[in-house]
Amino acid sequence: MPAMYCHRCERPAAIRMKQHRLQLCKEHFLDWVIQQTERSIKKLNLFTRMDRILLAVSGGKDSLSLWDVLWRLNYSVDGVYINLGIDSAEAYSASSEQYARRFAVERGLSLKVVNVSERYGKSVPEFNRQKMWGRERPCSICGMVKRHIMNQAAIEGGYNVLATAHNLDDEAALLLLNTMNWHVDLLRRQSPFLEAGGNLPRKVKPFYRFYERETAAYALLRGIAYVEEECPFSIGSTQLYYKGILNQMEAERSGYKLNFFANFLKAREILFGGQVVSDIAEGQSCPSCGQPTLTGELCSFCKMVEWKA
Amino acid sequence: MAIMFILRKQEISLEVEKTLMVKEALQRLGYSSETHLVVKNGELLNENEPLRDGDLVKLVPVISGG
Repeated sequence: MPAMYCHRCERPAAIRMKQHRLQLCKEHFLDWVIQQTERSIKKLNLFTRMDRILLAVSGGKDSLSLWDVLWRLNYSVDGVYINLGIDSAEAYSASSEQYARRFAVERGLSLKVVNVSERYGKSVPEFNRQKMWGRERPCSICGMVKRHIMNQAAIEGGYNVLATAHNLDDEAALLLLNTMNWHVDLLRRQSPFLEAGGNLPRKVKPFYRFYERETAAYALLRGIAYVEEECPFSIGSTQLYYKGILNQMEAERSGYKLNFFANFLKAREILFGGQVVSDIAEGQSCPSCGQPTLTGELCSFCKMVEWKA
Repeated sequence: MAIMFILRKQEISLEVEKTLMVKEALQRLGYSSETHLVVKNGELLNENEPLRDGDLVKLVPVISGG
């Protein structure tokens, strides 16, 4: 097998992206990720340099790579890190918080840290153990907690854009899950761009076209230190199951994941129309936190926090 | 003759004749380039790079989820 060389210079390739028929050296790959991110931002009008952007930072490869790229592109981006209190195995939350803090300090960036246990009285695993919420795995509660706190941080901080670092593998796995279960309303709202609604900010996913291996490669090649340990509750998760299926298909047919999600975005416009409004923005406000809720009563998050045994 | 892989805190040894390409090594370990990156001496290796007896290589899992 001949050696692989960069398609843009004479240097050996560090990475090959079969779905794009493209192989690049370290320097050209790092440039390519930045250029492709800017292209996605402009193509979907995700945001401009006039916007105030809050980025959800987990301390992992995706969010730290996205923060690095947006910082290099001179967007105005602050971070929010949510400490979920998942510290039963290898101090997962404490460790990931340290990676997020270190990244921000090294670049002079602003990071807001919300500690769930300190602010709301219990950690995510403890909320999960509450009688009426108790399930074996806290992932659904974790998702709700993160959504609520991200929204709240954006509202309180006056940000008009909330960014997350979901990559194409995340989106394709979610699409497969929603399709397999015909979650039509979730399919309607699955988009890299959710328009602002009510008091909720616009929600964007600038990394939606990158494969997960590309965001990991960006972090490695850029020298970004990130938490490599997995959340202990993610082992055996539904998302990993669907990612595994998609990666088996990708191994046999390059570009499968990209086509699946990119063609869905075209089909979604035909099926559901172009503009997607953020969450349940047309509902009423939660009397406790002010975030939207369909009923006008306490939202699910506030019910959970105020629940008494 | 063997190549040593480090995956998180686990060490995995793979017997080789002379050399083994990265993608062949990943296949023999039950992984693919979609799920793991391969790093040697701090450098990211492409799938056609040869691995040799005595190499110490880090496997970086790229798939996360919850």
